Amino acid sequence: MTDRSPEPGQGNALRSAAVASPGAVGSVPDAPAPGATASAAFERAPRKPMSAQLKAGLLITGVIVLLGLLAPWISPHPWDTISIKTRFLPPSTTYWLGTDDYGRDVFSRLLMGTRLSLAMGISATLISLAIGVPIGLAAGYFRGRTDELLMRGADVLMAVPPIMLGLLVLAVTPPAIWKTAVAVGLVYVPPIARVTRSVTLSLATEDFIQAARARAEGPAWILFREILPNAWPALIVEASLRVTYAILLGSALSFLGLGAQPPSSDWGLMIAEARAFIDTAPWIALSPGIAMCLLVVGINLIGDGARERLDPRLKTRTAKG
Amino acid sequence: MLRIYDLSVRYRTASGEVEALTGISLAAPRGSTLALVGESGSGKSTVALAAMGLLPQEAYCPSGRIEFDGRDLMQMAPAERRALRGRRIGLVFQDPFSVLNPSLRIGDQVAEGLIQHRGATPAAAAERAVELLDEVGIRNPRAVAQAYPHELSGGMRQRALIAGALASEPDLLILDEPTTALDVTIEAQILELLETLRARRGLTMLFISHNLGVVRRIADRVAVMYAGQVFETGPTAEVLQAPLHPYAKGLIAAIPRLGLRRERLASIPGRLPDLRRLPQGCRFQARCPFAETACGMPQALTAVDDNTRREARCHAAASHASTPWPIEAASDPVERMQTGTAPVLEIDSLVRRFAIGRGRLRLDRGWPRFDKLSITAVDSVTLSVRPGEVLGLVGESGSGKTTIGRIALRLIEPDSGRILIDGTPIVGLSQSALEPMRRKAQIVFQNPDSSLNPRKTVLELIGRPIERFGLVPAGEIPARVRQLLDLVRLPAHYAYRYPHQMSGGEKQRIGIACALATEPRFIVCDEPVSALDVSVQAAIVNLLADLRDRLQVAYLLISHDIAVVAHLADRIAVMNQGRIVEIDETERITRSPSHSYTARLIAAVPRIDGVPGDAAH
Repeated sequence: MTDRSPEPGQGNALRSAAVASPGAVGSVPDAPAPGATASAAFERAPRKPMSAQLKAGLLITGVIVLLGLLAPWISPHPWDTISIKTRFLPPSTTYWLGTDDYGRDVFSRLLMGTRLSLAMGISATLISLAIGVPIGLAAGYFRGRTDELLMRGADVLMAVPPIMLGLLVLAVTPPAIWKTAVAVGLVYVPPIARVTRSVTLSLATEDFIQAARARAEGPAWILFREILPNAWPALIVEASLRVTYAILLGSALSFLGLGAQPPSSDWGLMIAEARAFIDTAPWIALSPGIAMCLLVVGINLIGDGARERLDPRLKTRTAKG
Repeated sequence: MLRIYDLSVRYRTASGEVEALTGISLAAPRGSTLALVGESGSGKSTVALAAMGLLPQEAYCPSGRIEFDGRDLMQMAPAERRALRGRRIGLVFQDPFSVLNPSLRIGDQVAEGLIQHRGATPAAAAERAVELLDEVGIRNPRAVAQAYPHELSGGMRQRALIAGALASEPDLLILDEPTTALDVTIEAQILELLETLRARRGLTMLFISHNLGVVRRIADRVAVMYAGQVFETGPTAEVLQAPLHPYAKGLIAAIPRLGLRRERLASIPGRLPDLRRLPQGCRFQARCPFAETACGMPQALTAVDDNTRREARCHAAASHASTPWPIEAASDPVERMQTGTAPVLEIDSLVRRFAIGRGRLRLDRGWPRFDKLSITAVDSVTLSVRPGEVLGLVGESGSGKTTIGRIALRLIEPDSGRILIDGTPIVGLSQSALEPMRRKAQIVFQNPDSSLNPRKTVLELIGRPIERFGLVPAGEIPARVRQLLDLVRLPAHYAYRYPHQMSGGEKQRIGIACALATEPRFIVCDEPVSALDVSVQAAIVNLLADLRDRLQVAYLLISHDIAVVAHLADRIAVMNQGRIVEIDETERITRSPSHSYTARLIAAVPRIDGVPGDAAH
């Protein structure tokens, strides 16, 4: 999407650590006299401690991602071995979360399903960023007709219910998991474009854009090198929240049979398959449901925590005397 | 009426505790006006907030008492304090544009206090609101009471705010920079209004401002604040004419004065100490040219003259009383010379209109169409700037001066007219054909917070124009950036800083270095010092003067501050409502203006030497 995307807070902190020492030792321009104490005032304040919210979110999400990545090595049973003898076993010490109607271990399937769900959420979000960010940047910077055209297009896309849009893409061609990701990604282009546009609108009024124009910079430089780095904090927050929506929508489409195909294990698909046995073997549907809840809560916590940390308004404003 | 004893306020922040005020003691007797002056970070607004009991949650007071009419505000229950705030203390904020609620009528907002705190009926309150609007000099108050804030000008809004503050018949009025957002002629009117009200109602006023000229005009006594301490207090005229504390001396010497043209302005080097780690001794020691070893001891506010209750927080105040603040000379003075006579910028009958909305619907050859409503921001303006010359462009907000600066660089498109930069016409060229012009003509902006991309280091910021125009080979860019940093008197290691790691004055130096990077012949300086504190402003003005002399670069200096423009400019163009009403040598404009608008503008400038500014009607 772009050539570089430094995580803003981190990059600054590393660089500022490097410059802090010459600042304190060397002479300060406005104060050729004894100015060592004065320079301290403008060194970067120590990093804010992480909020409990962000910590909890990172912990929950981290554990789930780790389990998903390690799934083939840590799952206690093969995830796809069918066995008539072990059908509908309730949770026990052998089968931690019980077994399903084909006698497969629910916990092992759950672990494998993590991979599909996460891959779905992340790739769909990347797709919507790749399309939505340039659209939003262009709409917010060029304004006028470009803006109207792009945003009305986005409105049309938004007016169609997400499930219907996904169904539309998938119904005309045979279902495949990557198509589900693309469909979900497309569904979330308009919200990403809107957020990008609103950030761009306010950044475009800043003088450094005029300064860039005054040194004959082209639109591509201004959009991607001047505006985009400043829009990242807002976009990171928005994107992390979109991941959860994408996971839910992907699962919903799988539930409808338009995502992952049996026998592969996906949380949405697992719930769909377990629907028939919800009264006799509730653990089959409950486990992926709870896992999905946990993941969504975890990522949302990260998003909210990141919003607090990255919001540039909290950082640049200083109290007046 | 208002008495503050030994007040200290500390803020808890993520990076440690900040001491905003230390041992402030102030008194404003009934019917008097006490002014608090100081630069940003001095704590003057915190005093106002504390006096109103409106300190934010992160703040607490380790010591101090605030007495209002003999009662301690800090001991009161919140409800009691709230009632007092409504009934007896009025507050006027700086920005009349954001304080009024945009969705309520002016009359309702003025009457609100009456209903809340005086128990008036809505009908009676509305009637009284109209009277109040009349009292603050609003013509046709009945119509204005029905208006919404966006329908009023800035001056009218500030009058309405004052009316609202007066509604509950307060004894004390706290004004936090009440005229800072206003034009000078409006400012003069508001100051006159405040004087009249004070005389008529016997108001006590606590007036907070950074503008010493305004303070001179309105206040009986003044307290100069620095880094949370009062450095000097006394009768306004005496303090401003013969300051005792070195900081006050520097502050006053740094202000450019109309009609008193000097080669250079005094500037105060350095910056405010870190409020998290305040020095033990004098807080100004690091910046003080008179500093000596005894300054390492804590300084007490001691009386210098008992009759006038003049106090200064400097042990050596008496011995330095007659020593002026030293003014450093230009580092390497260069003879100014005019190179060539062909103007570097020529603007001829330039016009620019802005659409402001839709007018009436009418039929145009059978098709329904809206009339276009537009204002003429720039109305057939003609001017020229010679090489190495400084042309000042002054005028009040909305006069079109910024628009001219932007059109001169084709950042805004003109509707008609001719622009020549270095003899080349630039109107009608495509943006890519403008490249040679973009190298020759650059711009410095008002607000360095906004003009420097916060995500780039100084090296990237200054290096980019050099890279863009391929001025030096890529490997030599860092060396060239160091040269430019040296030119604006910043040390080389600043190349690795981000904008937020620098002070306002340093950021503005970077902004100037960015403009100089292309080796321009001409720079549009759009309010280059308006966002800066007085002491920093002086240093930047000196720097601009030095660069002009050394590099032969010409400026179009746009500012609302006539004193700053008069200090730097060779000629001044005065703008009013899109037109240039007068353009002449600086001396002539400031001493014997020929146009009545110029005369009014010059007269309205508040001056610290006490020449009364005249209200413009």
